[in-house]
Amino acid sequence: MSLAGRLRALGVLGINRRNGVYTSRWNEREHYPSVDDKLETKRLLREAGIATAPVLAVARTHSEVRGMLAALDGAASFVIKPAHGAMGNGVMVLLQRDGDWFLRTGGVWLDRRALSYHSESIISGAYALGGQPDVAFAEERLVAHEGFADIATEGVPDVRVVVFRGVPVMAMTRLPTRGSRGRANLHQGAVGVGIELDSGTTNFAVQSGRSVDVHPDTQRAVRARRVPEFERVLEIAVRASDQTELGYVGADVVVDAARGPLVLELNARPGLAIQLANRAGLVPRLEEVDRRVRPDMPWADRLALGRDIAKRARGGALA
Amino acid sequence: MRGVELSRSAAVVGAILVTIGLAIFGWKTLVLHLPVLPSPVENLWRVELDIDARGSGSRGSVRAALPDTDQQQEIFDERQTTDRLVFTIRTEKSGQRTGVWSGKFDGVHNLTHAFRVQLSERPLPLPTDLSQQPPPEIAEAYLKASARFPIDAPEVRELLANVAPPNPSDPLGQMRTLLAYVTDEVLTASSGSDDALITLAAGEGSQVGKARLLVALLRAAGFPARIAAGLHLTPTKNGKETVWAEAWLGGQWLSLSPSLGFFGARPADVVLLRSGISTLVEETGVDAMSYRYRILRESLRAEEVASFMVPSNPVLAAISLYRLPVGSQQALRILLVFPIGALIIAVIRNLIGVRTFGTFMPLLISLALRELPLGLGLGLVGSVIVLGVFSRLLLERLQLLLVPRLGVLLCIVVLAITAHSLLGRTYEVKDLFASVLFPVVIMTMLIERFSITTAEEGLPSAVQRLALSTAAAVCVYPIFRIAALEHLMFGFPELVLSVMGVLVWIGGYTGYRLAELWRFRSLARAREDEPT
Repeated sequence: MSLAGRLRALGVLGINRRNGVYTSRWNEREHYPSVDDKLETKRLLREAGIATAPVLAVARTHSEVRGMLAALDGAASFVIKPAHGAMGNGVMVLLQRDGDWFLRTGGVWLDRRALSYHSESIISGAYALGGQPDVAFAEERLVAHEGFADIATEGVPDVRVVVFRGVPVMAMTRLPTRGSRGRANLHQGAVGVGIELDSGTTNFAVQSGRSVDVHPDTQRAVRARRVPEFERVLEIAVRASDQTELGYVGADVVVDAARGPLVLELNARPGLAIQLANRAGLVPRLEEVDRRVRPDMPWADRLALGRDIAKRARGGALA
Repeated sequence: MRGVELSRSAAVVGAILVTIGLAIFGWKTLVLHLPVLPSPVENLWRVELDIDARGSGSRGSVRAALPDTDQQQEIFDERQTTDRLVFTIRTEKSGQRTGVWSGKFDGVHNLTHAFRVQLSERPLPLPTDLSQQPPPEIAEAYLKASARFPIDAPEVRELLANVAPPNPSDPLGQMRTLLAYVTDEVLTASSGSDDALITLAAGEGSQVGKARLLVALLRAAGFPARIAAGLHLTPTKNGKETVWAEAWLGGQWLSLSPSLGFFGARPADVVLLRSGISTLVEETGVDAMSYRYRILRESLRAEEVASFMVPSNPVLAAISLYRLPVGSQQALRILLVFPIGALIIAVIRNLIGVRTFGTFMPLLISLALRELPLGLGLGLVGSVIVLGVFSRLLLERLQLLLVPRLGVLLCIVVLAITAHSLLGRTYEVKDLFASVLFPVVIMTMLIERFSITTAEEGLPSAVQRLALSTAAAVCVYPIFRIAALEHLMFGFPELVLSVMGVLVWIGGYTGYRLAELWRFRSLARAREDEPT
């Protein structure tokens, strides 16, 4: 069989198919702002009682930057983000402070002026999807759950759950590395580890397209681990997707050491590398969801449906 | 069903568009026999005189020299626009034609006269019967002294005696010597004098001054001679006027150009517009007038052009692009190739899966470079980018806000291009950026994106993306250089519909991109390894 034929038999989802069949049909343009604007996402989720990373301060205009930094005077560590950023661009993680000096991930000390400049760049739209004027905000820096402590360096791992029509279909955890400079983005060198939806244990792992068994920085095994509070992770991912009216969503959930699972952000165009991390194609699961999901299904039933589909897919019943 | 990789609606709409385009194309080529490919045609040009004349309500006229068919040029397909005036053609006794627009000039009138000319490259045989005497009307008109041709001036006589004394056995040799003297010993300067004697005294004159001096010398030597004016054809927007001398010998007029240096026959890139007077366009009773000649090299034989111009079908005749003014044709010839570029970009991005900086950036870069050799063009773009990226690194320290920072980058790009243009002049690479306004904004955004990608994803990632963008530009570049493609799209604009159809197909394709086969290859392999 040709390579394309084999991938098709495995049900691997390609970009053209994701855009042409799934996001274009299930994610209507008018609903994009609810996920493209992170502050708007947080507002939506807060109203539904879903935990998100707490916002410390917001600067909507250049003149508000000074006020935002002043509001952070009591915070020892925080993250400055663009409301409309994509793929982690423009995210500045500050680990600790010493007066007016801040330690950025990667070991660089920055002064207040550098923070102010970065915030103003964000507001000017340097990191926004379309280059339009943006909003900068500071978020509490989350701390990795101890279950991740030995396999996350320089940053906080998150769990990406792809939710289709309210049903979780695939999940992976993204582990930052020194190479990814603390970012949980696979294309920047983070490790992607697939998670079995039914058991909550990790199965396979990839880094930069290559299969790995251990975290490159700590050499600790990343496979066959239990993801802490995974049940709760799936629950808030599904309930968060319900708030957006989008049918095909990537929910990024962080399991914080103190607060437990909370939603970091939602994505209307989730990437396809999750299939590499799980060594499985999305298409059979998506099509099974189309067959079995019913309107007005409670989230708990949809969660169970997703787990059942994942289990059967692994058993080869769908492919 | 997983086998279907093209959505049904896209398949249908695409097929309709492709079919309409191909049907019209097929009808034009198979039924009407319009030529698909340009023929190897030489020295066929379209020339358009474009006059703007402004008046304030008084009567006046604008007169333009019209070319005639002779042994070295065939003039056909003349047409003119009159813009509220009356156009007549006045034919003088000599056969010289003048186009006259007359009437009340009120406001700005745009007048055009266009024609096609097939220039001959066959050498005109030099006269053999050199003893033949000029007919009386020629001798009377073209041997006498005048203010313009001061043949009795002592310095002309003296020069003639010193340089080329009469030699009845070799009149051609004497002519050549006179031509060589005026060509080589007198400089051509656009600021030089139009007067024969001043030109001689200064050793420098305009094309007219040199031609008049040569005519005076020829007449003084006993050859009937006159001035001639026409165009030196180069495929630029504006044709260059040129003036030379004609001398009668052995029953024919010979051309002698002290500016372009030809003798005997005119070269295959010079068209004669008028003999006897150097002025091509004149006016009376008009407040102001300006004119220029637009030139376009044709890629079709005369009869093929005619088949596009006046096809047997009236509908086709009405929509034929060949009937448009030369200026519009030049623009449309480039414009109509754009869809092909968009198609290539769509293939590169959606079927192959290459990530480039900006969607149509490679297309616009290629467009800007189309007049240059590829290597030189890429070198230019590359050096501008390198300069820009380093400037951006320095700018980073100033911590400027985004828009002013982009503005500063744009200034740097403009300065870099200016510097290159100066260098281009020094190294005699002409028209370095002249053809199209170089896309400074695109270059600025390219530099900014490159810098941001470097910061966000690292230098290797940014360099890789830049290399892929360059590769895409290289793929698109040829479409602006292939004459056959230009002709195809210009002669058969209905093909744009077919291109649209193919784009719809690509847009509806939900199968794998080529790059994804590579990206997901480990999945296919992993499945192979599993025990069955």
